This record gives sequence, structure tokens and C-alpha cells, in this order.
Amino acid sequence: MTEGLIGNTDLVLGFSLDAFTDVGFWTRVGVTAGILTIFNLGLQLNVGYTGIVNFGQAGFMAIGAYTVAILVEKESVPFLLTIPIGIAIAIAFGLLVGLPSLRLRADYFAIATIAFAEAVRLTAQNARGLTEGNQGIYGFDSEWDNISETIEGWLEATVWSDPDQLFPLLLVVWASVTVLTLGLYFLQKTPWGRVLRAIREDEDAARALGKNAFAYKLQSLAISAAIGAIAGMFLALSLRFVIPSEFAPTFTFIGYAALIAGGLASYPGVAAGAVFISIVYEAPRFLDIENEESVRFILIGLILILLMAFRPQGAFGKREEMVLGE
Amino acid sequence: MEAGALSASRELPLAGRLRQAADRHPARVALGVLGLIVAALVVTKGLTTVADHMLDGLGLGAVYALGAVGLTLVYGILKLVNFAHGDFLTFGLYMAYIVSVTWELPLAVGIFWAMLSTALLGIVLEKVMWGPMRARGAGLLQFVLMSIGLALVIRYAIQYKAGTEIRTLDVNQTAVVEFLGLDIGRTQLIVLVIGVAVLVGIGLMLRYTLLGKRMRALSDNLELAEASGIDTSRVVLYTWVFAAGLAGLAGVLIGGFEGSFDPEIGFTLLLPIFAAVVLGGIGDAFGALAGAMLLGVMTELSTLVIDSRWKILIGFVILIVALIIRPQGIFGKAKAI
Amino acid sequence: MNDAPATAARATHAPAGESILEADEVVKHFGGIYAVDGASLEVTQGSITALIGPNGAGKTTFFNVITGFYRSDGGAASFDGDPILGRSPHRIAQLGMVRTFQITKALARMSVLDNMMLAAPDQPGEHLLGLITKPRAVRRREREVRDDALELLEGFNLAKLADDYAGTLSGGQRKLLELARALMTKPRMLLLDEPMAGINPTLGRRLLDHMQRLRGEEGVTFLFIEHDMEVVMNHSDRVIVMASGRVIADGTPDQVRSDEKVIDAYLGAHSGGTGNGGGARPAAPEGGKSR
Repeated sequence: MTEGLIGNTDLVLGFSLDAFTDVGFWTRVGVTAGILTIFNLGLQLNVGYTGIVNFGQAGFMAIGAYTVAILVEKESVPFLLTIPIGIAIAIAFGLLVGLPSLRLRADYFAIATIAFAEAVRLTAQNARGLTEGNQGIYGFDSEWDNISETIEGWLEATVWSDPDQLFPLLLVVWASVTVLTLGLYFLQKTPWGRVLRAIREDEDAARALGKNAFAYKLQSLAISAAIGAIAGMFLALSLRFVIPSEFAPTFTFIGYAALIAGGLASYPGVAAGAVFISIVYEAPRFLDIENEESVRFILIGLILILLMAFRPQGAFGKREEMVLGE
Repeated sequence: MEAGALSASRELPLAGRLRQAADRHPARVALGVLGLIVAALVVTKGLTTVADHMLDGLGLGAVYALGAVGLTLVYGILKLVNFAHGDFLTFGLYMAYIVSVTWELPLAVGIFWAMLSTALLGIVLEKVMWGPMRARGAGLLQFVLMSIGLALVIRYAIQYKAGTEIRTLDVNQTAVVEFLGLDIGRTQLIVLVIGVAVLVGIGLMLRYTLLGKRMRALSDNLELAEASGIDTSRVVLYTWVFAAGLAGLAGVLIGGFEGSFDPEIGFTLLLPIFAAVVLGGIGDAFGALAGAMLLGVMTELSTLVIDSRWKILIGFVILIVALIIRPQGIFGKAKAI
Repeated sequence: MNDAPATAARATHAPAGESILEADEVVKHFGGIYAVDGASLEVTQGSITALIGPNGAGKTTFFNVITGFYRSDGGAASFDGDPILGRSPHRIAQLGMVRTFQITKALARMSVLDNMMLAAPDQPGEHLLGLITKPRAVRRREREVRDDALELLEGFNLAKLADDYAGTLSGGQRKLLELARALMTKPRMLLLDEPMAGINPTLGRRLLDHMQRLRGEEGVTFLFIEHDMEVVMNHSDRVIVMASGRVIADGTPDQVRSDEKVIDAYLGAHSGGTGNGGGARPAAPEGGKSR
């Protein structure tokens, strides 16, 4: 196919590369990457630093998002107040899920947490009185819009004359990423973090030294739930609506792809992996590929498989982290 | 100190004592609970209604069982529950769709092709993915994530080709027949009959043939089976043939049973199938069968009490309850934790 | 006793000479196999007691039951007066009965120093609430713990390896680390599972010296499982012998050495004549599926 090879990339590739120069695309990717990073900071705490395989993170994300949406839109609760409420509810569910299932073996725990996330999604779909089912909830972001416009105003006045509409969200998301990463990083260095790492290494050794491994795992899950809820709230703001399909367990699988790609037990890895997977995730949308949703998940699935087969430690991790079977 | 006294259990709270009862006679407890529920429903809703729903439940349970038995058989090979198993069902269903609806061949051909193609898929994946990973000594987390990646690839490849619109197999959804004095949809009855027949066949095979015994030994403990001289690589292949083939069949049957489907259907079923496997005791094929039937019946009975939109949640509730009271399932051994 | 150096063990209720650990008809079965079949024993406070027996006698299973890692199926046990069967492992460790494992559990991806500091008790920083409400106490305790850890490591000649990953240590060094780490918990009693296995005689001698010193200076009681008869006969005060899940003999090394039952148990296991020899007996089949 030599004709049209030069100067007509559309024809050869079947899709357009123009998106890659579009600021809107990169802002979008940046927002998704930030949300995914927050999502994965929770997963990293669980998998990378405590050794528990939490597959229910999307459920906590949904709880955070839906709490904000429902309280703002239906109960007229001030937006900023809904944030700590959503976090508190997610923590409560984290404890609720963890209590019966954290004593179980890793793959049973994984199943239990997926079941939880599916149950959340099903409830969102079917409890129409509460969640509007598949129609979703709109309009809860008006207060955020005000905040966003204020930030835009500052930017226009100081740095940039025409920021993309999503840019304020981008800033807030990544500011949160920084705060959370620093917080978790320092938490890791405390005696509490030391016990967590010991539990990851060898739970029985930790117990033989007087540490209540179960309680620590529960705390890890609860913190991760809170972080997941924050990610969910940002996702809700970026989409401007909440519907069940955006909070399906599949999102957790995307999270794991990003987590593994970046490398377990590595903080730079979390962000790097998230950026990489976000590009893969958003690209089909902008490249005008047909059936973009399918393509994006096929790619992510392939990435997971290939990573596991050939480089389980990801970009920044060490091989031993992964290969040691449970 | 008194000799032989179970001093550790003297002040057990109610949950602990329930657990002890469940520990000693799990099957009886499960049947007892089921019996109580059925009795309560018969009293409140009437015998025929309950019997109708139980019959439906047996059909659903048969489909679950076809998936669960396969899933538990490969458990020993993969050392984990295969997250892609649900998408094998979807694969089989869509294969049948192509043959029966697009090419308009008889449904029997479609079923045959569904089972064959899914079995082939299972074999290919074993040769290309699972076998090499096992040989390399891959860890649990690696297998889990690989099976998830595989699930995504299969599901979305199907979605890429077939789209997300809801489809149906060309089967009659409205004809109702009488069976043992009860009304049941004709298609549902056919599903029930095929499902039960295949399950009986599989059950006999597993119990009485040499291959069946080897497959069960393998799914229970791969290393032990190897150590006892079984040619594991062949048995592994046969196990995949059966597990995948059954999954393909289950996919077609659920398509007939439910009437309509989309590419998500297999994954949606994965959780009830998991629940059945856990309920029956992971690695135990007969347990999976029993667990699946129990689950199917409970699910259908639940629609008498709650709206049918929520019936999938029954699977989760049962799963969580089972995990709390008896994680090794009704027939499992304590080692499973 | 307690203005002693940082490594002092905690005071016990039982003075030397009384029993600190009592077990009465402890039972543990797995499906049909009774690994521990009514084991009763007493360990005297301040003693160095060896637990021996042929393979499969149930010694490690017994350890696992009384330290809470396995749920018991019968019997009772108490540590320093507190009943312990049915308690979780971490609670029992907090009571002062600390165990090591047959296969050393050095926390490989953590540094030697972290391994040690982890074990120290009474660090409010190990709890989220403590981190928030008592940051200064946390920092102060960290400094104390660090000093204690280095001092203890010094005593075991491991101080220079403090910053290395525990996974890089040799087998013998890991055994020492596990012992040192257990000592950081300020235990009243140490249960050692085959402490001499796989380490060279010099290192083994050093370990035994440490044990004697700890017993003498700090009053720590030792119960250890061992197969090395030289160690058992020459370095322990009392010897308890298990076979087929039960205690069959209990006395000084000399008494045990000439006890006929003990000789039978070992010979039976070696000849392989009557099937199980010194191993666990199968139980009558319980209702339900076997296989």
C-alpha cells in the first residue's frame, strides 16, 4: 500500500493522529491520570505495602461519587460538606467489607471484594429512587463550577490567557495527588508503616512478635477506601454526572494495570503507571477509532497479560516484589 | 484442669457455636436452612408458586453448575479461580449465535460448535499462557492479574466484533409447557433437561472413569497428583477441554434461559458461579455442583420476596455468609483457608 | 531487677522454680489425623527445657497450638497463670511467650535494624492514634528502641549488618537475628523451634551461650525443640519427650536417656516396622466425606 503513504496518515493508520497535539486531549489525559493516581495510591497501600489484594476499590470510588451527587443534588447539602461525609461513609464500608473477609486467603479476599464492588454497582443501577439508576445524576457540580471559574480567573490574570476548561480540575487533582502521596510516604516511615511492611513480608512473623495483623490490615483497607472515595469524587466532577457504568469493577482492573505497569511499592511508579495507562485509556476516544471502548479494554487487557508474563515488576519495581508467590 | 474439656470453647458466643454446628454437619445444616426457607415460602405464597420457582431454580442452578464444575476443576491447575471463566461462557454463547442466528443452522449445531470452539480456546490458552507461566513458577498475584487481563481481552474482543446491543438466540421465549403439573417455559425446560443430563454424564465420568478420578485428584492438589505418577500434562489438557466445553455450553444455555444477552453476560454470571464454587468447597467438583443447584434455587426463590432486579445480589449475600461461617464451603476441608 | 540494662526481661508472677507454662491434655487433629493427642507438660520458670521426639511426634504442632497459630481441639493450657488456648497469636506474644519458627522468618525486604525495631513493645507510633496524639513520645521511643536494638545486635555480633536487608544474611545470621528480634520483645519465655538446625557448631555454641546468659541474668525461660542430642543432653536442665502426639517422658537428660519408653519410641520410628512408629495416629473416620 504505497499510495497515500506520504502525507496521508489517516488512510494508512485508519485513525487520525491530530489528537496528540490537542491541548484538550492532554488536559483530559492529565485529569484521568490524576484520578487514577489517587485511586492507585490506595491500591498501592493495600497491595504494595500491606500485601492485601483489594479488588473492590471501584466500589469505594462509587460510594464517594454517589454520596456527593446524591447529597448535593437531592438534599441540597453544600458541596464542600459532602466531601468528608462521603469519605466517612466509604471508610465505614471499608470496615464492613474487611471484617468478614480479611481473615481469608488472598484469592478469596479478592473474590469477596469484587463481589462488594459489583454489589455497589448493582445497587446504583437498581435503587432508582436513590441513585436514578442508569439515567444517572446530573447537576451536582454547580458549586464546583464556581470554584473552577475562580481558578480560571486567577490563571487568566497571571499565567495563561486561555486555559482549557478542565485545567482548574487538573490543578486541584494533582495538588491532591501531591498531598496524598506525601502523607502516605511519611506514614510509611512511621512505626505504624513498619508494622504494615512486616505484615506484607510475613504475617505470621509479625503476629509472633505481638502485632495484631488483622487490625492493621483493616486500617489499611479503611484508608484505601477513603482515598478511593476521593478519586470517585474527582471522577464525578470530571464527568459532570454519575452513572453506574462508570464505576464498574472494571475500573479496578484498569487501576491494577496502571499499578503493575508502574511497579509495586514505588511511589513514582504509581504516577508513571497512571499516566501511561491513562494515555492508553483516552487515546481511542480521541483517535476516532471505532468501538473505542472495546479497543481501550482490549489494550489494557493485553498490557496486563504481557506485563505479567514478561515484566511483572513494572517500570520501577523490583522483580522479587512480584514473583514471590503467596 | 479437667481432662478433655474444651475449655477454649466454653464461652463461645452465638456465632462461634453456629460455626461449630456448621463445622460438624455442614450439608445437613445447609439443607435444613433451605428446608426452612421453602417451608416458610410455601406457607406464605402457596405450593404451586414455590414449586414453579424451584423448578426454574433448578434450571438456573444447572447452568451455574456447568460453569462451577469447570471452574473448580481448573482451580487446581491454576491455583486460583479463573477470572476469565465467565467470558468463556460469553464466548460460547456468541459462537452459538453466529452459527444458529447468523448462519441459520440448527441450534444443535450451534451448541456443538459453542462447546467445541470454547474447548479449543481453553486448550490454546493452556498451551500459550498457563502452561509456560506455571513452568516459570509464577506467583498467585501474577495468575490473578493475567486471568483478569485475559477476561478483558476476550470480553472486549467480542464486544468489538459484535457490539453492545442486546441480542437473542432464535428460541421461543413464550411457549409454556406443563411438567410434573407445573408450568415452565418450554425453553427453560429444555435448558433444565440438557443441563441436568450433561451434569449427570459429567458426574458419572468424574466418579467412575479413570480420567475423571485423575481430573479430580489434579484439581484437588496438583503436586500430589504429579508425585503419584499421573501424567499431568495430558490430564490438564483434558481438564481444560471439559471445563471450557462446559462453559461454552453453559453460555448457550443461559442465553436460552434468560432470553436476551450482551457481552457482559458471562462476567455477570461469574460471581454467582464463584459463589457456587466457594459454597461447595473450592477444588471439589461435586461440591460445586451441589453449591450451584442450591444457589440457583435460592436465587429463583428470592424473586418471590424481592424484586427480580435484585436476585443477583442473592449470590453475593450467600457468598459473604458462606465466607464468614464456613470459608471452606459445605464439602471442603479446613485446609482451604 | 528492673534498673538493669535495656535488655532486661519483664518480671514474672512466678518466681524461679514454679511452672510458667502448663499444658493439660492438649489435642489437635487435622481431618482424621491426631497430630497432638492429649499432650500434658509443665515448664519451670527460669529453666532451659528441651522438647524432643521422633519426626511426626507433634512437637511443632504443639508449639503452634499453644502459641495460638492453630486452634486447639481440646485440652487447656496456661502461661504464667493466664489461660491461653483459643487466644490469638499476637495476644499470647504480648503476654510474654514468644516463639521462633523452624524456617526462619527474617523479614527479607526490611533492614536488619527494622526487623529489630519492629519487635520492640510499647511504641505508641505503631498505632494511628498514637501518631496523632503523642508525636514526641513516638520520637523518643524510636530513639530508645533504636539504641536497644543496636545494643542487642552488638551482643550477637550483627551490629555491622544493621542497615543491610535481612534477606542478604546467611542462614546462621538469620537464626541469630530471629533470636535477637525475639529478645527485643522483652519475653518472659522463648519457644525456639530447632534453633540449631542448619548452623555451624561455632555459631551454635554462641547461641547456647546467649541462652545461658539470658536465663541467668534476665530470668528468661527457654523451651526449645531440637534434634541435636549433644545439645539436648549437655545444655538443657530438663528434657520432655513427645511421641505419637503425647508426652511420654519428662525428666533430667540422664533420666530420659535411659528411659525405655523413649528408646522404644525412637527405635520404633527408625525401624519403620509398625507403620507409624512415633508419628500421629489416624482417628476413627468422622461423619461425612473422607478422601
